[in-house]
Amino acid sequence: MSDVSLITQVFINGILFGSMYGTAAIGLSLIFGTMRIVFIAQGTVIVLFGYFCFWLFHLFGIDPYLSLIPIIIVAMLLGSGIYYGLFKEAAALKDRIGSLLIAVGLMFFLENFMTVVWTPNPRAVVTSYGFSAIHIFDINITLTRLIGLVLAVLATLGVSTFLKKTLIGTAVRATSEDAEASTLVGINPNRVNAVTFAIGIGLAGIAGITMATTYSFDPVYGLDFAIKALVALTLGGIGRVWGALLGGILLGLIASLGSYFVGTDWSQGIVFAIFLLALTFRPYGLFGGAGQKS
Amino acid sequence: MKDRIANYLKKDKRTIYLIIIALVLIALGTGPFYMDVETSFTAYYLFVCFIYIVLAQGWNLVAGYTGQISLGTHAFFALGAYTTAIIWVHDVTKTWYYFDPVVMVLSGIVPAIFAIIIGIPLLSRLRGDYFSFGTLAAAEVLRILILRGGNFTKGAGGIRLPGSFFESMEPYYWVAFLLAVLATGVVYYVTRSRIGLALKALREDETSAASHGIHILQYKVLAFAIGSFLMGIVGSLYAYYLFMVQPNGVMNLNWMFLPILICILGGNGTILGPIIGSFIIAALFSYADIYVGQVHPMVSGVIIVLVMKFMPTGIMGLREKISPRR
Repeated sequence: MSDVSLITQVFINGILFGSMYGTAAIGLSLIFGTMRIVFIAQGTVIVLFGYFCFWLFHLFGIDPYLSLIPIIIVAMLLGSGIYYGLFKEAAALKDRIGSLLIAVGLMFFLENFMTVVWTPNPRAVVTSYGFSAIHIFDINITLTRLIGLVLAVLATLGVSTFLKKTLIGTAVRATSEDAEASTLVGINPNRVNAVTFAIGIGLAGIAGITMATTYSFDPVYGLDFAIKALVALTLGGIGRVWGALLGGILLGLIASLGSYFVGTDWSQGIVFAIFLLALTFRPYGLFGGAGQKS
Repeated sequence: MKDRIANYLKKDKRTIYLIIIALVLIALGTGPFYMDVETSFTAYYLFVCFIYIVLAQGWNLVAGYTGQISLGTHAFFALGAYTTAIIWVHDVTKTWYYFDPVVMVLSGIVPAIFAIIIGIPLLSRLRGDYFSFGTLAAAEVLRILILRGGNFTKGAGGIRLPGSFFESMEPYYWVAFLLAVLATGVVYYVTRSRIGLALKALREDETSAASHGIHILQYKVLAFAIGSFLMGIVGSLYAYYLFMVQPNGVMNLNWMFLPILICILGGNGTILGPIIGSFIIAALFSYADIYVGQVHPMVSGVIIVLVMKFMPTGIMGLREKISPRR
């Protein structure tokens, strides 16, 4: 393998890897955009759906990509349930730390629930086609990761069309731009927030399936995932759907190039250092736009 | 007659408060004389409470009085613990006392310097949530630096301290008690002084505060540094207590969530709130640990959610709601 193709391989791996964070970041970004809630439990919810996917595959032999349909439905219901059950009152408050703590409590609960019920052993969904790969020139692309990228792009496309073309999508965008003004023109904040949560958790379902098919996971992996998604969303600019996906891909690129050139041990540190620099110099995201009020 | 008593009570409220505070301080401060500190659960519970109080007051000063939510508490705590451990192992200060006050103060100063270094760029440009993300990222960078610090920090294995120095829990109890009193005193003093006035002004309206001649960045960084000093000094105590400074132990994210939980439960931006919160949370967590064992973090999670859902202003906020005067 030549040097060039090795670097290309690293590059492509970064993109494939990062698209998974991108999917998570879109959900986080929507929730943050409309309600200003830092939903730190997003990563743990993703792990939960990873487990769903794992058990559906193990107990009933349902193909992980077929389980996409039931999981997305369950996820969206769960999402609006989470909003009405937990965040309805907190979202209306000006002080947002309460909602952060609710998310933390939810994360603690889910993490330990999964540890107790499903043991802390790492799991992975291993399908018959899990190791097949596509070879182009000297480059290997694992099939499952490629599907992950395709799913991420499709999900992004779906969400952005939904936000642009439908009435409720427009309402979500309006709330995200100015929550007070949107209530003035007659938008019901509860409905918008519930829809946002449904989409956000639905995206978590997709990310969960991608994660379960490509990596091994355990119950406490969630927080790390959520923090990475937070980085991706800040890099991409809060409230921008494509920005969040691009932010995730950028994060994946930084991580994989960092571990190739500097060392695997340092890649996480490099990601956060670049995040800090980006926050300091481009706090409203790297991809254009004047940004919004903080 | 009734009126006269009421009047008298109102006039001498300050004295009554002072007497209550003095009594509580004496009762807690003389603990080791009537409790068996080595074995008593109450003494251990109080020790944990004191540690929580210091951490929570440090966070309270920044979040409650300047409105900036820091998610980097664990970094400052760990930095304090590591400073103590490294100074002790390499014998930098050439003072071989156990509980060396110089070392403890240095363990507060190092996090304070770190806070100033990351505080100036973050606080001058970022507000609100972005500041929170920034402190979290800075803490993660510090974690990697500690993990990859080679022989200096001993990586993931952590630094083992000579445990033969341990003789009794008594000094721990007193040091923790003193730190808790000190932390509360510092926060009380700072918030009652000109600094506190400036901090409250900029929490309410930054632009207006700036136009009245308050140097925003200077005051914010000052509060951030003082808060970090308190967190670092309690980290130092923790290092002396555990004799083992490990990234997984002292950089555990629990150290970040705990003070937030305590302050919000007790009442953010009040002196008494973090103290009440510490006593409740410490009791909750230790009893849950005893009675429900492995499921304890799960129960704690549920409790956090319930408290935030039904009592988002905390206990001090509840009091304000009940009492007619504000």
